[in-house]
Amino acid sequence: SSADSHIQYERVGADVTMKCGSMDWDAAVTWTANGTDIDDSHLNGSYLILKNVDLTQSGQYSCYEGSSWHLKYQTYLRVGTPPKEPVLMCRSNNYPKGFYCSWHLPSPTYIPNSFNISVIHGTREMVCEKDIFPKNRCHIRYLQLFSTVKYKVTLTVTNALGKNSTTLTFDEFAIVKPDPPESVVAKPVPNNPRRLEVAWQNPSSWPDPESFPLKFFLRYRPLILDQWQHVELSDGTSHTITDAYAGKEYIIQVAAKDNDIGTWSDWSVAVHATPWTEEPKHLTTEAQVTETTSASTSSFVPPPTTKICDKGAVVGSGAVAVCWTAGLVLAAYGVLFI
Amino acid sequence: MAAADAPSATLRRRDLCNRGIRLARKMRSDIADLLDIYVERQGLDASASVAAVEGVPVAATECWSEQTGTQRLLDNLAAYRSFRVLLAQMLEEQREQLGDADTTLGRALAAVLLQVSAFTYHLEELLQLESCGPPSEEGAGPPALPRLSLFEQKLRGLGVLRELAQWAVRSVRDLRQLAKPGPGSGSAPGMAES
Repeated sequence: SSADSHIQYERVGADVTMKCGSMDWDAAVTWTANGTDIDDSHLNGSYLILKNVDLTQSGQYSCYEGSSWHLKYQTYLRVGTPPKEPVLMCRSNNYPKGFYCSWHLPSPTYIPNSFNISVIHGTREMVCEKDIFPKNRCHIRYLQLFSTVKYKVTLTVTNALGKNSTTLTFDEFAIVKPDPPESVVAKPVPNNPRRLEVAWQNPSSWPDPESFPLKFFLRYRPLILDQWQHVELSDGTSHTITDAYAGKEYIIQVAAKDNDIGTWSDWSVAVHATPWTEEPKHLTTEAQVTETTSASTSSFVPPPTTKICDKGAVVGSGAVAVCWTAGLVLAAYGVLFI
Repeated sequence: MAAADAPSATLRRRDLCNRGIRLARKMRSDIADLLDIYVERQGLDASASVAAVEGVPVAATECWSEQTGTQRLLDNLAAYRSFRVLLAQMLEEQREQLGDADTTLGRALAAVLLQVSAFTYHLEELLQLESCGPPSEEGAGPPALPRLSLFEQKLRGLGVLRELAQWAVRSVRDLRQLAKPGPGSGSAPGMAES
């Protein structure tokens, strides 16, 4: 005889009772879970009782008539949870084309979920076209620009055990956030021990940088220090750092923002660069500096014993604090030239 | 006379556009400050929704990228002429309500009104350069409104300032389009393609 077969969803912690199809309560049956016989202690007559189910009890449950071993009932038990409030985010990284919304659940439900999103602008319902990949994202084309009317986005997640929803309300400008600048490159400037040339490109997702120009924020620091220096640039996609510490490796990042609206992008991928240095002379003492240094000062490189200045002396400004050790070296040069 | 295409006219237009962009940006910044003061002084909720108010030029547009330079200028000019009248009304209402009790709001309103007037003049100059000249102001102002209650006046004022803030951003974009080399149509990609 054919057996009933279906999927059964139950909450974690629930007590589950399975009937063996149309078999009487007092019929002799055998239950299996994933092909393994279930102990009689879980039976109440022909009913299978599972108390306080957990995720490990998901699987295929089958009921066989006692003597004939005919399959009388089969179900796939899926243990899971109803959805928690989903996390929803909307952003425009391609202004003025449109924006996208993406979502996820803060914790898994372990059973299939379906998502429904609605976007309302004033009285108009807008279509959010779902992306093929990733699946938890859809995008909306702006039909209007410069509107004071807010957008209201509601995401509802539903599964067999329940539903939940969340709503975001925002205006057109607030969600504009470009992607980080791309192709950031930093390189030393020949014969300039304190300069680094940095160049980058507009994010490729920004559709019209000529009409909607971006401004940039550059941050840089030597690897050996924690404090960043910042430069804001209102135009152009390059900048020359002129106050780098000679011979020190730098880490550099760039962020972008529309000139007039929205928020800053995330920081770009970090690039590393070291300013140009002359061929190292392997000096170890100030005395060797006074013996071997040439008359030229354009390629001054502090000797290895030069100590890095205290952080507090250089925080937030382009000026370099003069350390006592560097002062000694300068004095030594002065003596040499005299 | 193709004045708009002559090199000196192009340079003049670009110069006017760039100055206009700076004006609009400053205006936007001051409008943001004015909005904060207004909301606080009028006891309003900053997030309150205000329905579209009759007579207030709406910055929202569905065909921004398709507009020609002249259309942009005309739309801007019409809007700011209306805002000039609306802000003057607000200033008058504020003086009636509060007299000299609140000079902070009055000063902020007056400052923005001055900038709106200056920007209006700037737009008229740009239109002169486009050889079409600004339209006359006869009948260009917002319609006369029935007397509003005090609360309605406050909400209306909030709507006016919010829309003015949007226009300030739109004006920056419009002027940037106009400043582009070429005939100044400045259509940009980005809106839904038809």
